[in-house]
Amino acid sequence: MNFWLTVLGMLVVTFGSRLAGMFLTKPLPAFWNRFVRFVPIAVFTALITPSLEGTRGEGLPRLLAAIFCGFLAWRTKQLWIGLFVGMLGFWLLRELF
Amino acid sequence: MFWRGFRAIMPLYLGIIPFALAYAVTARAAGLGILETQALSVLVFAGASQFSAAPLLGAGVNGLAIILTTFLLNVRHLLYGVAVARVLPNMTWRERIVGAYFLTDESFGTFLASGVRDYRFLLGASISLFVSWNAFTLVGALASSLVPDPNALGVDLVFPLSFLALLIPVLKARVEWFVALCSGILAWLIVPRLPAGLGILMVGIAGSLLGAILTHNEIPTENIHLEDATREVA
Repeated sequence: MNFWLTVLGMLVVTFGSRLAGMFLTKPLPAFWNRFVRFVPIAVFTALITPSLEGTRGEGLPRLLAAIFCGFLAWRTKQLWIGLFVGMLGFWLLRELF
Repeated sequence: MFWRGFRAIMPLYLGIIPFALAYAVTARAAGLGILETQALSVLVFAGASQFSAAPLLGAGVNGLAIILTTFLLNVRHLLYGVAVARVLPNMTWRERIVGAYFLTDESFGTFLASGVRDYRFLLGASISLFVSWNAFTLVGALASSLVPDPNALGVDLVFPLSFLALLIPVLKARVEWFVALCSGILAWLIVPRLPAGLGILMVGIAGSLLGAILTHNEIPTENIHLEDATREVA
């Protein structure tokens, strides 16, 4: 298949997924309202846990960095503090292990 | 408000810049031209699927297989769209279309974690990501031989860490922590064993169902207000 035709298909399925939910305008039944409240929690956890360990045998420093990051995000509610301290911690720990 | 959203994404540039560079280098190495490399960042604008598609496109793999993988990787955005439409029920059609085009994990997470209930914040966050992703796709595509390997630096850790830092402030009630714990365990078990994207979608649905079932005694608060407000405006 032609490159541009494939890219068009990728655009359609990606934009289509993003768009489909946005056009849900009618009020949802109570059950689905509660469902939607948990979507970011479930999806983000699913994005985090499988990628924490990494593929280069750096599982322990990565996990410890995540614990620093999570603790700071909880205490400070600031994205950048958790992120920067977590990454710095990872780079330091990686040298130690 | 637009610029507030725009700035809220900026800490994530730490991960976005090296990965846009890495994507562009991968795509160029796979034989895509500068225009093709950039077109994926502008038209598809989804990091993981661009990464997985670039080598396949370069190798001339069947387009349908690439499109199906892209669909699996990105179908979770459907759930994000539903959540955004719940929080911002008064969006116009144009706002829904534009908002959807630029919607990503990062802008959705930043928007919800901010507690700001304003379309302009979401758009600012999304455009901030779009501009940086595309600018550094271009840099990487032009200078593909000069860019070091970001994986060796371990910069890929920025993504789970930033999702974690966005998730934690959302977790308040005990039931939310419990759902996060169960989703995490389930994801750790099934995501590596399933095709990319499918596992994340399944955990997203299972975790949200669990949350909805566990909260069946709860009286919804925020949504009642939102729906009342919509009715008054209408």
